[in-house]
Amino acid sequence: MLVRFDYPRTMNSMLDELFATDVRPTRSVFPAVDITEDEHVFQVLAELPGVKKDDVKVAFENGVLTLSGERKPYQIPDDARILMNEMRTRAFERSFEFGFDVQSDKISAEMSNGLLRISIPKAEQAKARTISVK
Amino acid sequence: MNKNVALIRRTPGAIVKRNEIAESLVTPVADIYETVDAFVVRLDMPGTSNEKIKLSIDPDRLSIRAAVGTLHKEGTGFLLSEIGQKAYQREFNLGDGIDLDRVEAVYADGVLTITLGKTDAMKSREIRVN
Repeated sequence: MLVRFDYPRTMNSMLDELFATDVRPTRSVFPAVDITEDEHVFQVLAELPGVKKDDVKVAFENGVLTLSGERKPYQIPDDARILMNEMRTRAFERSFEFGFDVQSDKISAEMSNGLLRISIPKAEQAKARTISVK
Repeated sequence: MNKNVALIRRTPGAIVKRNEIAESLVTPVADIYETVDAFVVRLDMPGTSNEKIKLSIDPDRLSIRAAVGTLHKEGTGFLLSEIGQKAYQREFNLGDGIDLDRVEAVYADGVLTITLGKTDAMKSREIRVN
């Protein structure tokens, strides 16, 4: 388990210099999500760095998509010393209600490079249609 | 439990096309720890790839830069946009004690792990109390 590292922290002078960094990252909601649509499908993209595929659950029920899971701590040697700890290990859950008809039995999800990509095909009646004028 | 559910719908003006979103530089979240023979730097950088990551190291500075590029297909409309178009950039000062010939980097699960081997002089500076 990692412990919180308060920055800057006084260690010996060499280590104070070592890994000094001016810019601090900003924190935001986890996971950050994009939702897009084209004619046929909604795509949900979630940023899940450091999260294993088996630690993510995707559910769709009554029009609500729920992503949940846990970012677990990674292994470090017992005698390692933490110098900086900005990453957070935590459970997460986010839900999105789709006010559209979708084909819930055809939802698919895949993970690569820390991104979870979920495809939600639109129901036929939800697709935009061009009506030809007779 | 009272679940916080965001309603996803089209509201006028909410749908932006990808090319209207400007790319921004993001400082990736980092962990650093020290072992007997190395410093290990881990950075959260989801959405990039080995080819897009540029690492440079000199005796004073470790620089990380990585493009993310396009995450969505051309012509898609956004219903929610939190990730944005971005590139990652972060730099760390380095002091004595890093062996520049023993630096390794691995990208997996959206996390970049950089292992900086210590010089022999740095290793011997460690005094362990048992």
